[in-house]
Amino acid sequence: MADLVVRSLTKTYFDVYTGQHVQALRDVSLELREGEFVSIVGPSGCGKTTLLNIVAGFIPPTRGEVLLDGRRVTGPGPDRGVVFQSFALFPWKTVLDNVAFGLKMRGVPRAERDRIAREHIALVGLAGSEHQYPHELSGGMQQRVGVARVLANHPEVMLMDEPFASVDAQTRMTLQEELTRIWEAKHPSVLFVTHDVDEAVFLANRVVVLSARPAAVREVVDVPLPRPRSWTALVEDPAYKRLVARVLALVRTPAG
Amino acid sequence: MSTAAGVPVAEIPLWGRLARRVVTSSAWRTLGPFIPIVALWAAVVRLEIFPRAFFPGPVDVLRAFGDLTYKGILPQYLQDSVVRLAAGAAAGVLVGVPFGLLIGLHAKSYRFFWPLVIFFQAIGDIAWLPILLIWFGFTLRTMTFVIVYTVVFPVVFNTALGVRTIPVEMVRAAQSLGAPRWRILGDVFVPGALPNIVTGLRNGLGYGWRALIAAEIIVGTSGIGFMMFDARRSGSVVEMLLGMIVLGILWYVVDGGLLAPLERATIQRWGMVTDG
Repeated sequence: MADLVVRSLTKTYFDVYTGQHVQALRDVSLELREGEFVSIVGPSGCGKTTLLNIVAGFIPPTRGEVLLDGRRVTGPGPDRGVVFQSFALFPWKTVLDNVAFGLKMRGVPRAERDRIAREHIALVGLAGSEHQYPHELSGGMQQRVGVARVLANHPEVMLMDEPFASVDAQTRMTLQEELTRIWEAKHPSVLFVTHDVDEAVFLANRVVVLSARPAAVREVVDVPLPRPRSWTALVEDPAYKRLVARVLALVRTPAG
Repeated sequence: MSTAAGVPVAEIPLWGRLARRVVTSSAWRTLGPFIPIVALWAAVVRLEIFPRAFFPGPVDVLRAFGDLTYKGILPQYLQDSVVRLAAGAAAGVLVGVPFGLLIGLHAKSYRFFWPLVIFFQAIGDIAWLPILLIWFGFTLRTMTFVIVYTVVFPVVFNTALGVRTIPVEMVRAAQSLGAPRWRILGDVFVPGALPNIVTGLRNGLGYGWRALIAAEIIVGTSGIGFMMFDARRSGSVVEMLLGMIVLGILWYVVDGGLLAPLERATIQRWGMVTDG
């Protein structure tokens, strides 16, 4: 069953500073099956985020379409929750109210939404922080809230745009392990954009490698590594190393 | 417990601890800076450089305060001014915030209204007085117009600015969590713009307060501004000084008793500004 289908997306936009049309995406197609974790990697500035923004419905494609369960995406919606690099939490809401926000917007009664929110706050390991405000949390904790906020809303797909790029290296590894743990527990469908090849391979079932701008799908690499995954186990794993080397080569060499 | 310099508290002499207790108290922090000013004022009066009638001292002003309070004039005028400020401010906020939101959110409104906002903001409150005196005469309406006008523009300006500087991701997050448009207004744009709205309110009330006194001086039949200007007829410098001091204190109370607590409870609590 195909859950999310991206079909022949092309995006051209007009750059007001250079006065030129710039092509960001060229005929990008991919599929995300239900419960699958797919990473998207590509050279810096290749258009990965543009692709994610189109799937999220924030910007329209120039050509092509995005289908979710056969329905065409025309704008943002709660079926596609987004985790942002900048966290984008609401600073005026507590952790609990941030996580319960989507449920509140969709009319879930207070008691029910608080129960679901607390459950997801515990899931991301933040039980006890319900009544703190985002600015009182570290970057890593804030992004845990970002993940809980999306999962509590039960989207069909979770879209993640370089979510761990603005936390320190050690926190990032912890968050990556936490994310695999959550994925193994709940099997949400995840589309994960990153420029970090290690991260892409570590997390995913499949890695979609994009070419340099304008981005086109260069190759899709399967990641048959066993789960649960941990950095301690994988860092010396020859199969993991081979996969990373292969993806890295695809990212770094220009398409022939 | 030790001090910042690492000296244990027990080693500081008693007078030192007492002095520190006084210096860190909030009454001292508020009144302390005024002590040298008042002392200097009293000293100049004592030296009798200027005739006493032109330059009365703190004690004379205090006596006038007691006198005018006893007669009920000062409380009445004070009430008139404060009610005008409050009414003007309320109207200013009720008009300014929604209008600022409209301009900030709606690109076409922004293009249309922004030049007008800049233009009319520049025509200061007092510049309107001559024409208002012709239109409305020496009435409350003139004063109301001036104060509402003065409060509205900073509130509009800053609200619109606040809305336009909310990070796009925050709005996108709300949309992709299923928030309908009208709920994004109340749940994202208004709280997100609140730091700027508070700034606008602060500026607007500050300008409004000044404009009100000016209007009372020219138009007035009551109010602190009127009291001060009326005092020139009897040559009562002491009443003028009293009026000036009341203006300063009143603003201090409005700022410290209303705006600052509002800020602490909201945008400081949320970490949207650095703590003052």
